[in-house]
Amino acid sequence: MHQLIEVTATITVVAPLLLLLVTGLTAPTKLLGEKGVGVITRVALLAALAASLTALFAYLLSDRRLVLLKLGSWFTASEARFSFDLALDALSLGFAALSLLICNIVAAFSFRYLHREPGFFRYFFQMAMFVVGICSVALAGSVELLFVGWELIGLSSALLVGFFQERPAPADNALRVFSIYRLSDAAMLSAAVLLHHWTGSGNLTSLFTTTEQPHLTLAAGQTLAIGSLLIIAVAGKSALWPFSGWLPRAMEGPTPSSAVYYGALSIHAGCFLLLRVQPLLAASGIATALMIFGGVATSVYGALSGRVQTDVKSAISYATLTQVGIIVVEIAFGLQLLPMLHIAGHACFRLLQFLSAPNVLHDLHELENRLGEELHPSSKQRTGQGRPAVYLFALERGFADSLLDRALVAPFRRLISILDAFDRLLVFERPSRRERRS
Amino acid sequence: MPVRPGNERAPAAAASRSKLERVVRQIGHLLPAQGPINVFIHHNTLHAFEHLPFDEAVLEASRLFGCQPYLSEDRYRQELRHGRIHEADVNAVLAAELGPRADATVLANLSRLELRRRIAIFGIPQRHGPALRWTLEETNVLKRLRADLPAEAQNALGLGNPHNGGRAEQARYIRRLWDSCRRAIERAANVSPAVQPAPIRHRDLLLAAFELDIDQWVHPPLIRATSAFLDQGLADWAMPGRERGLYRCFVDLYRSRLARWCGPIGKELQRSLCAEHDEQQDSWTSLARSLECLGLAADEWEPFLRAEALALRGFAGMIHQFELRPDRVPARAVPAQLVDFFAVRLLILRAALSYAAPAAGYQGSLAELRPWLRNHLPQPPAPSADDRAWPLFHLAQLGGLNVAHVDNLNAEEIARVEAELGEFDQTARRRLLHRAYERRLRQRYFDALAQHRPQPVSKPAFQVVFCIDEREESIRRHLEEVDPSVETFGIAGFFGVAMYYRGVTDAHARPLCPVAIRPRHFVAEINTASASGLRARLLRLSEQVGALVDKNVHLGSRRARRGAAIFAVLGALWVIPLVLRVVFPWLHRALRRSYDSLQLRRVRLAIEHQEAQRPPLGEQVGFTTEEMTEIVFSQLAATGIRQRFAPLVLILGHGSTSLNNPHESAHDCGACGGGRGGPNARAFAQMANLPQVRAALDARGLHIPSEVWFVGGERNTASNDIALYDTELAPNHVHALLRQAINSLESARRREAHERCRRFDNAAPSLTPAASLRHVQTRSADLAQPRPEFGHATNALCLIGRRSRTRGLFLDRRAFLVSYDANGDPDGAQLDQLLGAVVPVVAGISLEYYFGYVDPTNYGSGTKLPHNVTALVGVMDGAQSDLRTGLPWQMLEIHEPVRLSIVVEAKTALIRRLLEQRAELKRLVDHGWVFLATLDPASGEIVELDATGEHRYVPEHALAVCPGSSRAHYEGRRGHLPFVALGAATARSNAPAD
Repeated sequence: MHQLIEVTATITVVAPLLLLLVTGLTAPTKLLGEKGVGVITRVALLAALAASLTALFAYLLSDRRLVLLKLGSWFTASEARFSFDLALDALSLGFAALSLLICNIVAAFSFRYLHREPGFFRYFFQMAMFVVGICSVALAGSVELLFVGWELIGLSSALLVGFFQERPAPADNALRVFSIYRLSDAAMLSAAVLLHHWTGSGNLTSLFTTTEQPHLTLAAGQTLAIGSLLIIAVAGKSALWPFSGWLPRAMEGPTPSSAVYYGALSIHAGCFLLLRVQPLLAASGIATALMIFGGVATSVYGALSGRVQTDVKSAISYATLTQVGIIVVEIAFGLQLLPMLHIAGHACFRLLQFLSAPNVLHDLHELENRLGEELHPSSKQRTGQGRPAVYLFALERGFADSLLDRALVAPFRRLISILDAFDRLLVFERPSRRERRS
Repeated sequence: MPVRPGNERAPAAAASRSKLERVVRQIGHLLPAQGPINVFIHHNTLHAFEHLPFDEAVLEASRLFGCQPYLSEDRYRQELRHGRIHEADVNAVLAAELGPRADATVLANLSRLELRRRIAIFGIPQRHGPALRWTLEETNVLKRLRADLPAEAQNALGLGNPHNGGRAEQARYIRRLWDSCRRAIERAANVSPAVQPAPIRHRDLLLAAFELDIDQWVHPPLIRATSAFLDQGLADWAMPGRERGLYRCFVDLYRSRLARWCGPIGKELQRSLCAEHDEQQDSWTSLARSLECLGLAADEWEPFLRAEALALRGFAGMIHQFELRPDRVPARAVPAQLVDFFAVRLLILRAALSYAAPAAGYQGSLAELRPWLRNHLPQPPAPSADDRAWPLFHLAQLGGLNVAHVDNLNAEEIARVEAELGEFDQTARRRLLHRAYERRLRQRYFDALAQHRPQPVSKPAFQVVFCIDEREESIRRHLEEVDPSVETFGIAGFFGVAMYYRGVTDAHARPLCPVAIRPRHFVAEINTASASGLRARLLRLSEQVGALVDKNVHLGSRRARRGAAIFAVLGALWVIPLVLRVVFPWLHRALRRSYDSLQLRRVRLAIEHQEAQRPPLGEQVGFTTEEMTEIVFSQLAATGIRQRFAPLVLILGHGSTSLNNPHESAHDCGACGGGRGGPNARAFAQMANLPQVRAALDARGLHIPSEVWFVGGERNTASNDIALYDTELAPNHVHALLRQAINSLESARRREAHERCRRFDNAAPSLTPAASLRHVQTRSADLAQPRPEFGHATNALCLIGRRSRTRGLFLDRRAFLVSYDANGDPDGAQLDQLLGAVVPVVAGISLEYYFGYVDPTNYGSGTKLPHNVTALVGVMDGAQSDLRTGLPWQMLEIHEPVRLSIVVEAKTALIRRLLEQRAELKRLVDHGWVFLATLDPASGEIVELDATGEHRYVPEHALAVCPGSSRAHYEGRRGHLPFVALGAATARSNAPAD
């Protein structure tokens, strides 16, 4: 049984990886044509889905003990080992199966939706990158693999936000998304380094399992440090408050990519990670409090902003945030099955809602016909609870971007310019930008 | 007694106020005229420029809007290579353009005509500055002759065949040619750099001088506030205080202390709004004050405000449309005013400038900012010797000038050549090539019309009236092929019935008629079936439950607690509709239809006038007998149907359904104002069947035999579904005919779907007609399908005349076909009505497609994929952008941007007389927004009419004949097809000799 699980789990990771290689190598020359890309994407994704489902059922039928599968080792230096391991249990295999199901659906959608689009090949290459990323995150048993997956998700996400290269707005917003992701990645990297430093390996299984309580090998302070860094990493990736500002900006890409990232998977990847390291976080009261705070703040913020957004994609993205906040709170309370169900249900529903976002006129018209009246009769529509300040707060999306700009970016830039001035003073006088150009 | 300072300035203020009003009104004309997207109306994108000739208008608009006037030169040359344009077309257009100036010698021994011909056909690559330097250094231009050089030029250069000559020799020669061109320029007089007028907006000056784009701060709050103000029900909470207008609403909202957090300009904005609020101004005074603050003299108001409005033209235009046509606002009226938009925009602009000016190093008042910025503008460099030598170098190659020739050119000659090149610049070349491009299609059309032998139907078994839409051309052709006993007609698809209509399941009534008409009548569909019985009750219950669930899911998904409950408990169930709708759309459609078919409905239109009832919209319920008589008479009188009524006449309106398509309504019937024409067709049939209407028609001289029966219906142009209404009311004697008609329509719609599938790249060429029908049906029900159909794309032609002229002619779904029979209209009164109603509509469609195609990003709305529905009135690109008002690229893709060629089958003299009476039409024709020609009803001779007079058309090429049906002609081919006569048709005698 274990052998079956190991083989199928390997296929789950390797099939998307092959897809990534093939689409990546052929994308610049459009060698395969739209049909060819369609065929190999279908084959690879269906194979991965079938493999992950098989692994999941095999696991459920087996003795249900966490399986640690060593795929390979990057390098080993004295006692420190850097390895790519898979940790297989119901949670990881379940999330992988859900992700692959959704990726299959979105791929089926995208073949028709992106037909004849100039960026068709680029799109499927970046989608493949995402599939590799999400499978790695789902199945990661070592912090190295987790980090690689985390990065691939972030990179492909930013690239797809900037998919329409001929306009400046997507590039600007992609940069914004990317910079928040960098912050989140930096936190993740720091967590990985600390973990390596304190335990000697990147093995995550010690954090996953509650039964053996090996996280006790970490001191309370160490647990808090790693936990907080992971929470920051998750907050960036899942757009928890105060990092929420980038989410509506990410709606620049083609509809299916917005759907799979910000409706279904990428936005929940953070929640999944929290679920994974729940035992570690539960050990620290402060980390739990931090999660509850982040979740509640996100949820309130999302619900408030979502009520006044006048474009359909922003409205849905704030509605998504509201639920993500609640999921984080559920995890903070130590629940396991509920958040998992919540993630799965929410992902499927939001995916459909995002995919049919351009249909909103049609849908509302149909719904009103069936109800026989307006959805929001103008007499009953509420007007910002009568308080302009509340309405303004919601309309301006809680000033989330300004908040970050003033609280983080501005001080950081000041610091850099001080360093720059210091540098010039000490080293040499560099020509200014204007002089250089002339 | 102290004099209040305001008093003495009152008259001046009033004068400036009235000037400001005039300015704002003028700018309104330039803004996009597209209203809320749920009713998409096709109209000339450059309607505001119709007072200018077409070629001037597109240039003027390209300056003002920053848009393309024509396709690119390269694109036209590609069409030349593919044979879409012939060199003969270029020559003909060039000769006509130059007239007597054609033969003058310009350079060496080349006439102006020959020189321009070579430039137009072979082109001079547009390069200067760094791009030219790169081309010279990194490419082969100085090592080889141009590969596409005409043979005569090669011979003249004395190099023989450059492909055979030694590479090194050729390289040496070409290098010497370049050097001599450089020397020639050095001999020539200096030219000064082209002086660009300084831009008028602060933003453009700041951008040019300091690379600082202040629109990045102005637009986000403006877009958010404007779309919240216009919102038709997408957000749960409406903007507070909307009823007071955008300006007051904005001031009250953003003067809250919180607004200081609103981006980097928040502090400035909040401070100025507090002042604004304290002074209690209205938007006009606020706007005047802002203009003063910004240092704008009264003569600059118009260009400045115009430029500011055009920077966010989609939203400005939508505000303007709300102001102009409150009756077209979908759900709730808001007091929108363009002046409010300007006042708000300038308030934000002032805040942005107060923030940006210090950053650029400026400390004074805003009023003095622009002169200061103008002094900081970078100076454009004069063209270098290389820049000027480059065109000469190409000219030498194209004209076959060798080194000695070039060395002999004196300064005067070079000046003459440069002047010639300046006159025949890129725009002139594009215009020329565009005219050639249009000419080819027009010639093909005229050739086909002039040579096709008319095919009248003497005794039709049944008749079908379609809309004039060019998408009906194919189904008419196929129907006639399937059943040669059928005769078809084309009438504008609202069939003269202008009404507000509410179907039995509709929540709202909507107008169904051309936009220009405001209907007076209201017609409702009523359910006459008895609604008792268990099955009916169960169905009703299931529908109510379904609606309730949908409502709660729709709203609940956005709420925290309700949403959490739904998702955590039921969420995973969504995988079923998800997979069904995305992966198996055909299955979803089938399930949906079988559920719908369970409905027990027996519905009728309440068409007759009800004196006692008050209509919810319009002035009266139903039509009186006189009104119905007038409608039926006006629609049928001129079509030629009156001479030979068949016992069964079908009236088919059209509409289109598609999913995930905010532009769904753009595929519907234009004559119904972007609505579906089924109810109109049904109402018309019902009217024409009424005995009292028949009697009244008799009195007016239109006799409809008593055995004739009309049946209304609707064709879905996307899925090709055809529904016929009220067939159970048909009298017994037409039952057999009705069955025949239904069978013929069934095979016709399959064949039509098959023909349409050839344009869809992802429909395999091997599909059978039945599979094609399933394919188009799935397309219209597929969330993932951005091209449910191609709409009006490829439209290019129009015939107002008898169907017999085009019956059996393959026109590739490109022609609007309007039925008109000159025999029934001796004084031209019917034709006059027809021209007035039809020409503006078809011209609007053709021009909207023209502009959308030549500049898909600026005139069109770009690719559909990132579109984001906003406020339920329009779409933005991605997260936030201006409202995109044009056509999306997926609708345009296969179009050919040409002006419409309208041919009227009537005497030339009559048309001339009618044009004199209709100034608007005459302007369209004389200014070249459409091409107009007449087709003599008797002789079949074609005469082209334009501003310069009448031109008899002489056929160029013989009309090809394709034995067999349409399918034999189109099968296996994807692109545009030549027009051919189908079947055993023989060409007429006036074919050219070739």
